[in-house]
Amino acid sequence: MKQELYDQAEKAIKMAKAAGADASRALIGSQRFVQIGYRDRKPENITEAGTKGLRVEIFVNKRYSSQSTSDLRPASLKTFIENAVASTRLLAEDPFRTLPDPKYYQGRSTADLKIYDPDYPKVTPEARHRFVKDIEESCLAKGGDKVISISAMGYDNHSESALLASNGFDGYQENSAFYGVAQITAKDAGDRRPAEYFAAITTSRQALPKPDVIGVEAARRVLSLLGAKKIKTETLPIIIENRVVSDFGDGLMQAMFGRAIQQKQSFLADKKGQKIGNAALTLIDDPFLPGGLGSGAFDNEGLAAKKRVMIEAGLLKEFFVDWYYSRKLNWEPTTASPFNVVVPPGKRSVAEIMKDLGRGIFITGFIGGNSNSTTGDTSIGIVGQLFEKGQIVHPVSEMNIADNHLKIWHRLAEAANDPDPYSQNRVPSLVFTEVVVSGA
Amino acid sequence: MNKITRRSFLQTGASAATATLVAPVLVGRGWYAFAQAEAAGYFEREFGITDALCRKVLAEALAKGGDFADLFFEHTISNNLGLEDGKVNRAACDVALGVGIRTVKGDQVGYGFTQELTEKAMLAAAATAATIADAAAKKPAGAFVPLKTKNFYPMKTLFSSVPLDTKLPLVQSVNDKCFALSSLVAKVNVVFHDQQKRILVVSSDGVKAEDLQPRSYLGATVVAEKNGRRERAGWNFGGRRDFSYFMPSLVDKLTKTAVDRTVLLFDAIQPPAGEMPVVLGPGLTGVLLHEAIGHGMEADFNRKKISTYCTMLGKKVAEPFVTIIDDGTIPNLTGSINFDDEGTPGQRTVLVDKGILTGYLHDKISAKFYGVPPTGNGRRQSYQNYVIPRMRNTYMTAGPAAPEDVIKAAGKGIYVEDVANGQVKIGEGDFAFYVSQGRLIENGKLGAPIKDVNIMGNGPKMLANITMVASDFTLYEGGAGACGKGGQSAPCSFGQPSCLVKSLTVGGIKG
Repeated sequence: MKQELYDQAEKAIKMAKAAGADASRALIGSQRFVQIGYRDRKPENITEAGTKGLRVEIFVNKRYSSQSTSDLRPASLKTFIENAVASTRLLAEDPFRTLPDPKYYQGRSTADLKIYDPDYPKVTPEARHRFVKDIEESCLAKGGDKVISISAMGYDNHSESALLASNGFDGYQENSAFYGVAQITAKDAGDRRPAEYFAAITTSRQALPKPDVIGVEAARRVLSLLGAKKIKTETLPIIIENRVVSDFGDGLMQAMFGRAIQQKQSFLADKKGQKIGNAALTLIDDPFLPGGLGSGAFDNEGLAAKKRVMIEAGLLKEFFVDWYYSRKLNWEPTTASPFNVVVPPGKRSVAEIMKDLGRGIFITGFIGGNSNSTTGDTSIGIVGQLFEKGQIVHPVSEMNIADNHLKIWHRLAEAANDPDPYSQNRVPSLVFTEVVVSGA
Repeated sequence: MNKITRRSFLQTGASAATATLVAPVLVGRGWYAFAQAEAAGYFEREFGITDALCRKVLAEALAKGGDFADLFFEHTISNNLGLEDGKVNRAACDVALGVGIRTVKGDQVGYGFTQELTEKAMLAAAATAATIADAAAKKPAGAFVPLKTKNFYPMKTLFSSVPLDTKLPLVQSVNDKCFALSSLVAKVNVVFHDQQKRILVVSSDGVKAEDLQPRSYLGATVVAEKNGRRERAGWNFGGRRDFSYFMPSLVDKLTKTAVDRTVLLFDAIQPPAGEMPVVLGPGLTGVLLHEAIGHGMEADFNRKKISTYCTMLGKKVAEPFVTIIDDGTIPNLTGSINFDDEGTPGQRTVLVDKGILTGYLHDKISAKFYGVPPTGNGRRQSYQNYVIPRMRNTYMTAGPAAPEDVIKAAGKGIYVEDVANGQVKIGEGDFAFYVSQGRLIENGKLGAPIKDVNIMGNGPKMLANITMVASDFTLYEGGAGACGKGGQSAPCSFGQPSCLVKSLTVGGIKG
């Protein structure tokens, strides 16, 4: 398949050139996946299919457009690209639009990132069904008479992609992914039917947790939510669980992109080299994590991947700047988007930290909410557990936290020792002090 | 994938313009330019999809039995034109072509899809779908009867027949007018999106339905600067519209709304946190109905008993002046459909009739379970997804009160004008919304503007706590709104009159 993808990408680049493009970049991706869902001890859905898609970016006469299609019939494709080049000529000139300087393609890592599991073809239909059935059974057993409904699901895919640019870049990547999830709804007081889930995604089948770990953890989580209520508005320390902490961290990250900065939509635009958090805040983009879901040797523009410390002990050191915005800002490019976001773990477990915090909220889920990348203001609904002196008091719901990203990271007290191994973000639970938690 | 259980409403109105996409490809001489605006016969004409071929593929999908099987052909062309830093300098086009094949047995679904519309590829996908069943083969209907429906979104001109150099000045004019409206404007992003989605549904029970669904919007995001502070807001207009909708008067309305909303934020404060009366203003706040109530009334959640509303059918859930509808038949609105993705005609479905919960939103599977006719809510993102019950345009009808009386009755609280990023927990009914724009209510009158707060509540409780409904019913005319469920996005809209909710939790910053 590798050569076939290269050939198709090359053909697209030739078609663009023949149609008059000055330069072009083609990405062709192919994947095959299987998804199996179980409910009531029988398959609820089975889906299996393959997809292939092409994206061509066209640079002509200092003008730019991006085209994608799943209609790869040769005649359709030729007309599609010819039309694309013709219409691109009609756009306004944009002198910043070029392919990257090829010097940024250089120095690409050749390390084996272990992002494709060579045993992928050996996974049998029976093994897939057994995996999902076992998730459901273990979840049913742990949930007991509280269970209203359980959906278990397994998904795996094998994907390949080739990226070619007309100024000398070519790259190929092969990935596999394995995913298991249990979703459970349980009986609570009155008409309340809380739901929870546990999901894990990995690049190798070996690394995926056993099905009963997934099922039991989903059930444990929903049982812990029974009897949730809100408390009065209060200023408290909070611990945001590893599984959901990236959702909160996204509010900080979205202000770190070149586009947000150049378009005056970043509250961090003038903060490079300044302290934006306290010493507990270090954030690394690591493309080379073995088996990492975001690992890769190059980014989607072909720039060679590099490990970068973005924030070091509270000091903002780098932004995510792609080629186009690097030219608009007259900065050096870094990467268009992060590979694997890593926050180094601390030394203590969440349980140990709780003991020292007195009264606080352990946040295990978010609901709704927003973060404003221009101002840093954020407000988000929370679900979790009220704790006092290390003991869980009761679950909380219908509550909210509101703060500003320019302020709250200065109140980051500690990172726990539990980075989430089943996510693209290797971020541990994080502890913040003096947060207004709104309720009754 | 890790957000699979989240059902969030993606209010992309403003942020759409910040997407990386942009511009169109198919100029007037494009290869679809001369295709007819009529829906019927397109797939046979362009791709050789005959009734005989469909029957063969459906027979393969039912080779191991099953209740029924269906085919969903799709050919969608989407274009985006983008303006940044004063120039329309980016374009993007996407073409999606494929067929999804589904075999249904009870509540079990087998699904396969292919991007190649060849007999060989379709038979292989059908064989995958068939594996859900394990009985004797069934035969599809001997003849397919073309479905005839009203057309709620006729196109005078296909987007592919509108030359690019006609679209460019439209996009440019949004930028120029925004800058002319206020000296505080620092950056403007504009996006123009147009889409032509052609679908053909062929079902083993004899239904054949073919449609052309347009969707388009023009959106502006504005960043303004004042005394070293920056604020950002935006707006969009659109729907199932053709190009004739985007007149200079609409550009005036769009740019004024976007700039006014941005500049107002310099005066906005965050309100105190806690429980208080909340007035939901007319129009866009109908997102709240969609999240807090609509999702809980999708029949799949009730069939599985995971919705908080699953025991409330026939019961009083609100005051008698509250009536809530989900409607696929409003001309040109984003969520309207001539028929759904299973070939059931679009219709008006009453969810709450004068305070009584009267029905759920059904696809074929849930309708069979409940022994009722399907309501035309079986929808999917694309040929790559199987159908699930989804909302269309969800709204509350007008009530008896004067809008100013609703604000007066609130006394002290907040008035919500614009909400986004809503999310609901179906089982508890708990929801959260981000209020991007609103006002304080003090002494029964509108006060200072507010921003960046969340409101939290519980769907059934909020419904029961609607104590006044005003006469100012308004439908939201944005085109960028999409609802997310089960990893699938579907365009929809909503509306409502002003109404008073006795108490909701407001997540402000002061303790």
